[in-house]
Amino acid sequence: MKMTKFLLAAAALVSLSFSTTAIANEGGAHLKHAEVDVTDQAQIRRGLEVFTGVCMGCHSAKYVTYRGLMAYPEIGLSREEVDELRGDKPLTSGMISDLTVEDAVVSYGKAPPDLSLIVPGRRGGANYVYSLLTGFEHDPAGKIPDGNFNEFFPGNRIAMPDPLMWLDHDAAETEELEKQAEDVAAFLAFIADPHQNERHAIGVWVVGFLLLLTLVLWRLKVEVWKDIKH
Amino acid sequence: MLDKIMKTQLFAWIDKRTGAEAIIKSQLTEYPAPKNLNYMWNFGSLALLVLVLQILTGIFLVMYYKPSAELTHGGFTVAFDSVERIMRDVNFGWLIRYMHAVGASMFFVVVYLHIGRGMYYGSFKAPRELLWIIGVVILLIMQGAAFFGYLLPWGQMSFWGATVITNLFGAIPVIGELVQQLLMGGFSVGDPTLNRFFSLHYLFPLLLAAIVGGHIHALHTVHSNNPEGIDLHKPEQMIPFHPYYTMKDAFGVAFFLVIYCYIVFFNPQVGGYFIEVDNYVPANNLQTPAHIAPVWYLTPWYTILRSFESKLLGVAAMGASLAILFVMPFLCKSAVRSARYRPVYKIMVIMFFVDVIVLGYCGHSAPTPTLKLVGQIATAYYFLFFVSLPVLPKFEKTKPVPEGI
Repeated sequence: MKMTKFLLAAAALVSLSFSTTAIANEGGAHLKHAEVDVTDQAQIRRGLEVFTGVCMGCHSAKYVTYRGLMAYPEIGLSREEVDELRGDKPLTSGMISDLTVEDAVVSYGKAPPDLSLIVPGRRGGANYVYSLLTGFEHDPAGKIPDGNFNEFFPGNRIAMPDPLMWLDHDAAETEELEKQAEDVAAFLAFIADPHQNERHAIGVWVVGFLLLLTLVLWRLKVEVWKDIKH
Repeated sequence: MLDKIMKTQLFAWIDKRTGAEAIIKSQLTEYPAPKNLNYMWNFGSLALLVLVLQILTGIFLVMYYKPSAELTHGGFTVAFDSVERIMRDVNFGWLIRYMHAVGASMFFVVVYLHIGRGMYYGSFKAPRELLWIIGVVILLIMQGAAFFGYLLPWGQMSFWGATVITNLFGAIPVIGELVQQLLMGGFSVGDPTLNRFFSLHYLFPLLLAAIVGGHIHALHTVHSNNPEGIDLHKPEQMIPFHPYYTMKDAFGVAFFLVIYCYIVFFNPQVGGYFIEVDNYVPANNLQTPAHIAPVWYLTPWYTILRSFESKLLGVAAMGASLAILFVMPFLCKSAVRSARYRPVYKIMVIMFFVDVIVLGYCGHSAPTPTLKLVGQIATAYYFLFFVSLPVLPKFEKTKPVPEGI
């Protein structure tokens, strides 16, 4: 009886840790699901290409250093590849866009947010990034100009002009554009917490060891307590 | 093993100068504990464990953390940058930081269960009133420490949470404005606030450590309550703390660590409950987040605050909701301790636990008229529960309490 109650409480705790509470994204529309694998080097590298080729025109990822692109096994670029990307920036430099904040404000009305932590920093995470990139539509009300209406952005009016040219794209391109959006979401999900795969790998051993320890200590407790009637 | 150590010459040398043997005997090997304690009695030792973990991880975090709100590239600050440096560049920095962030929430999980245990089994009642009151002081200091700590990463929720809470102090008549300015170190939350919160965040756990010592000392003077809530004196009802409860606590610790480490390694944000989504966005004093909510462990009190139209009334109610815990031992007049033998109290206290969860849910969610009403009803019950304690024994028929165990 006592044990059952205890186990119930424990189960409640565990379920709390599992709860991924369906939080409505800020735009209100139901997010699309992105196939994102932060252990997939090929996908992350494709995402990096989209990031440097498209996003970095305006956005930075200041916490991701060029050295990191070599050091993280999930990306694992060679020195030559990194040298080509960084130009004359030092290896320890973050991936900073050449667009200055002042110019961005003149062109778009606001400073583009840094993307280092965009995935954990938005409700819906990678799904949100993917949905946003493939969410440019014509405003049904006809008020917001084309390129500034996004189904998934809070309030629908977004300052970022359709980076992947999603609006009015040919049906034949849909798959390719969705893949680009997914890949860059994977890259951003990875760089938000570059030690996440290492963390999961170590975690299996830590939790496994603790489960064993719990089992041993439980048997030991039962053994120590066997003469106590309670 | 302890016996062997106590027979060594070194131990004899130490004992002669400290009286260590007498302490070990009176506090561990011959300290009498009721033999019928259930697993709800494990949370005290778990709370101590988490406190130690928080202090240790905190010491290492401070080696790399920089409390400065000076702006850096991209709208970030020196403080935010230093946290990200810990997460990315410091060896196992991510582990220490996640242990600390998850530890804060787990500290409250454990302590709330510990408090709930005390309420359910009447552990707050005579002769344990002071033990309970010291516990309430610990709770308040914990909440303060957690609040100060939450500002340090200087994210959006750090900044706006601190803005909302420091503003509350401004509602206090006469001295409010002064208190608010003293807390903020200026006229708004800024770099001076960050520096003094950092200082206080380091101070409060040290206070906690000292007061926890007092809590344990008080416990060892009046001894543990038990699920039956009756006084136990006979030797056959008691067992020595060591090895029985050291062993049971060790099992509890291992079990707790499984859950704790599972969260740390696999799901440290816990869906935005342990680390809020908005706190990954750097603080911006020009942009208020769509919905400001404190971390889950403070949300029940936040709901009580929001349940009143007048800010002063709200602040007073929130203060009262915490202050009333201090007088709970004196409000409760029943001669019976445990809810097992108090049918009405049992229903009321379980409803109280549900009530606090409802309050927490309301405080965490974006305000709607329905939720506001639910929050107000829950607030009313929160106080009704305490206010009805003195009159409860007048009509509650308690069940016969067992003579022994």
